[in-house]
Amino acid sequence: MQQEVVLALLAKEPSHGYQLRARLRQALGPVGEAMNAGQVYVVLTRLEKAGLVTTESPAPATAKDTADRKTYALTAKGQHRVAEWLTEVSWPKPDLAEFHLKLVAAAAAGLADPLSIVDTQRRELLRRLREAQRAAMAEPDGSDAALLLEGIVLRLQADLRWLEACERSWTTRRSAP
Amino acid sequence: MGRLLLIARLAGRDLRRRPAEAALLLLAITAATTTLTLGLVMHGVAGDPYQRTREASAGPDVVASVMPDPVTGAPADPAVLTELSGADEIAASSGPFPVAGTTVEVGGRTADVQAVGRPAEPADVDRPIVTDGEWLGGGDGVVVEAAFADALGIEAGDTVTLGGESVEVAGIAVTAAMTPYPAASCLVVCTPITINGEPVRDMAVDVLEEPGLIWVGESMATSLAADPDDLAYVSYLRLDDPDAAQAFADARIPNGPMDAMLEPWPHIYEQVTHIERNAQRVLLTGAWLLGILAVASVAVLVGGRMADQTRRVGLLKAVGGTPGLVAAVLLAEYVLVALVAAAAGLVAGGLTAPAITDRAAGLLGGAATPSLTAATVATVTAVALGVAVVATFVPAVRAARTSTVAALNDAARPPRRVGWLIALSARLPVAVLIAVRVAGRRPRRVALSIASMTVTVSGIVAALAANAELNTQLASDPDPRMERLGDVLAVITVTLVALAAVNTVVATWATVLDVRYSSAVTRALGATPAQLAAGLSLAQVLPAFLGAVLGSAGGPLLYDAVDQDDVVLPPAWWLVAVVVGVVVAVSALTVVPARLAARRPVAPMLQGELA
Amino acid sequence: MSTTILSTRGLTKTYGDGESLVRAVDGVDLDVAAGETVAVMGPSGCGKSTLLHLVGGLDRPTAGEIHLAGRRVDQLTERTLARLRRTDVGFVFQAFHLMDELTVVENVELPALLAGRSPRAARARATELLRRVGLAAKAAALPTALSGGQRQRVAVARALSNEPVLVLADEPTGNLDSAATLDVLRLFEELHEAGQTLVIVTHDERIAATADRLISMRDGAFVDETRLTGGTSGRLGALAELEG
Repeated sequence: MQQEVVLALLAKEPSHGYQLRARLRQALGPVGEAMNAGQVYVVLTRLEKAGLVTTESPAPATAKDTADRKTYALTAKGQHRVAEWLTEVSWPKPDLAEFHLKLVAAAAAGLADPLSIVDTQRRELLRRLREAQRAAMAEPDGSDAALLLEGIVLRLQADLRWLEACERSWTTRRSAP
Repeated sequence: MGRLLLIARLAGRDLRRRPAEAALLLLAITAATTTLTLGLVMHGVAGDPYQRTREASAGPDVVASVMPDPVTGAPADPAVLTELSGADEIAASSGPFPVAGTTVEVGGRTADVQAVGRPAEPADVDRPIVTDGEWLGGGDGVVVEAAFADALGIEAGDTVTLGGESVEVAGIAVTAAMTPYPAASCLVVCTPITINGEPVRDMAVDVLEEPGLIWVGESMATSLAADPDDLAYVSYLRLDDPDAAQAFADARIPNGPMDAMLEPWPHIYEQVTHIERNAQRVLLTGAWLLGILAVASVAVLVGGRMADQTRRVGLLKAVGGTPGLVAAVLLAEYVLVALVAAAAGLVAGGLTAPAITDRAAGLLGGAATPSLTAATVATVTAVALGVAVVATFVPAVRAARTSTVAALNDAARPPRRVGWLIALSARLPVAVLIAVRVAGRRPRRVALSIASMTVTVSGIVAALAANAELNTQLASDPDPRMERLGDVLAVITVTLVALAAVNTVVATWATVLDVRYSSAVTRALGATPAQLAAGLSLAQVLPAFLGAVLGSAGGPLLYDAVDQDDVVLPPAWWLVAVVVGVVVAVSALTVVPARLAARRPVAPMLQGELA
Repeated sequence: MSTTILSTRGLTKTYGDGESLVRAVDGVDLDVAAGETVAVMGPSGCGKSTLLHLVGGLDRPTAGEIHLAGRRVDQLTERTLARLRRTDVGFVFQAFHLMDELTVVENVELPALLAGRSPRAARARATELLRRVGLAAKAAALPTALSGGQRQRVAVARALSNEPVLVLADEPTGNLDSAATLDVLRLFEELHEAGQTLVIVTHDERIAATADRLISMRDGAFVDETRLTGGTSGRLGALAELEG
């Protein structure tokens, strides 16, 4: 997970670690379920080391001194990094080239039938789509997580359509001399 | 040039794309133009035949005659007539011509005639119009008055026995100087002469009964009379002022049997029109009824087609057609159909019209009317083109107004929703449910169907009533004119029925096309083809039934309006029979299109709607 | 093993002849168990809609057999087929095919009326179904006043009017946006959970992925079958690149 996500969540106001985790869970919905509980704290520690956040411990009298009790806040450097991140236009890109080359190589070497590779991949993507779609159907309308799930579903759909194009293409290549 | 070609090609494409609809449109407009032609011809015949005949034949303003004293047998004096011709008010005159009473025998039938001796050359006043053959040629040929000839079955070229001698009929003619047979006024002594209500039998001269009119050479007239003293004389006078004819006659009321009898033209006119008024009313009413029906059928079809055009207009505009081009294409399409329909209608009307005109000529005592006048051709063509322009105008205006996108998206005319009808139909059997809902989608078309059937049935009922009365009259008083009136009634009735049949088929097709989509859905939801076919058929039968009921109530009213005499209402079982007949006929006419529509495969329609 | 609701053997539908012969459906064997949701996927023109029409009795096969609810139906007369469509099958179409002049509730009760139910019973059933698809409040509205997703829910309610043993859906989400698609998918899921047997033809992977079984169709024939049921991987997070 991107460190900047956690940084940005702190931009509104200083928060406890557990508050950050709750906010993430809410935004991600079922997608966030796989997230390790300690992941947020690992990231926070790393950010602290980089001088992007500072911590403030509560009054020592009541402190049992667990990580949970600390309040995290952005430093000036952290503020700057968040602003920078928001203007970035990076976009997660699926590595289609790898799969494409896998098909080409398999066909050239005669190691495997590209069509059966496509087929296996398709089943896998369909299974993922089924999961995402079921998760989406379980979400109430308008939740943050529903929007994320819709994005996942649409991407998987696009991937499946590309696989269909692969299948068509390799079918013609095979039938051609 | 290229533009014209494009317009013609686009119009032709669209017509060929839907040949069934184009054919239906052609049929409907042709039916309308045929009917209109008939109506106009009828109107022309019924218009004012006497006046036309009077003008064409230089008809007299006053007919003056003298005859022998029926009691004493004193001979008539033609000098009385000559003197009358010299009066100040007289502008022109002809005669005196001798008139002999005699008999004519033809085909075993004998009838009394009054034979008027006329010179071969045309007279200044009263030039009878020859409808068949030719006028007197100075020889032995005779000319017979048209109604009389018709009654006795005489044609030009026939040989008849006149006063015991065989003579050839040179021609048949009509005149405005005398009421047509058998209501001819008497120039010689005719029965019945009554004194104190008792017929006078012992006359000094021969007495004729319901004489016909025959024109013969002057010398033949003289020789036809048993005695020159038996001759009567007639003169035809034209006044400076035709409107003064009645006053002229009133000032010279005969004081004795030897004085001239004067008959002013308004008197003849009244006689003629009194007798023919019914026939005229029948023809005019028939023409109106047919006109209304024709408009109804075109309205149904053009209305249905206009909805279709909106989408097409959108397509044309989407590919870059200007509103002007769109209008031109639509206009070209309709003008083509309208012109073909006008031509077909004129030909069909022209072929049918003699059935009316031939009978009406004798019937009305008028000159033979040409079946198709230039005015008729112009009117029919103008009306057909008018339909084309109106059918173009509305979508064209819409095209100019609506955006291309809106026109493309606007599928068909959205159906109407009649809530209570839908709720009511839920309680009815499936076929009736379908019928009521199909009909409910297009209230205006249903109204037109009802109106059309009301008009037809009114016409039929009125014709039946008139016919029944005619038959009663004929039984007591055989009159050839009444028989001919019956024939005209029959022609009108047949035309009414034919047009109503075309209307029904057109309305059914329009409905079937209109509901093909909801029909497919209804069948997908489980309606059987039989239920759907019955529903589509019933959707026409229900309004027809309503129309028939209204019509059988309206028929007697119509008849009452046409014939002010005592109305003999047709028996109730007739009306029931007409209503039942209409239901059976409409069922029969709609069953084929409805069954075809109900059996059409469902799947393509449901798929096609996706496009 | 649950009972088989629908079964076809060598189902074939051809159009034209000679050179222009088109095999829209070419020897299809299909078995659908009670309560199963089967999706048939393929590019447009692969014959999936024709297959659906054959199974639902909207069209007749050129060859082959169709058994529906234990009864052979490919030889039935048009009249009996109509009865079959009325009682055993419910259709859902891409274009909804609602009657625009009828209100929502009148649309839904129409199949029951066609089946000869009493107006009262038909209305009661329609109202109940509208409640089930969440549109009870729209009963008196005209379809033109509804969104696409709402219209399709009305169409689904209509398909259920006569409690069919089999619901056939032809591209039910083809005209819908993403949110409306989700709505309809939820509705199908509810039907599925209630034990309704569903056959859906589509080219929408989202519908296909939610079916129990996915059949791929090419040129009129089945080319692949995937059973998608089974435990989930529980790795949704991988989909969002949250790990690694």
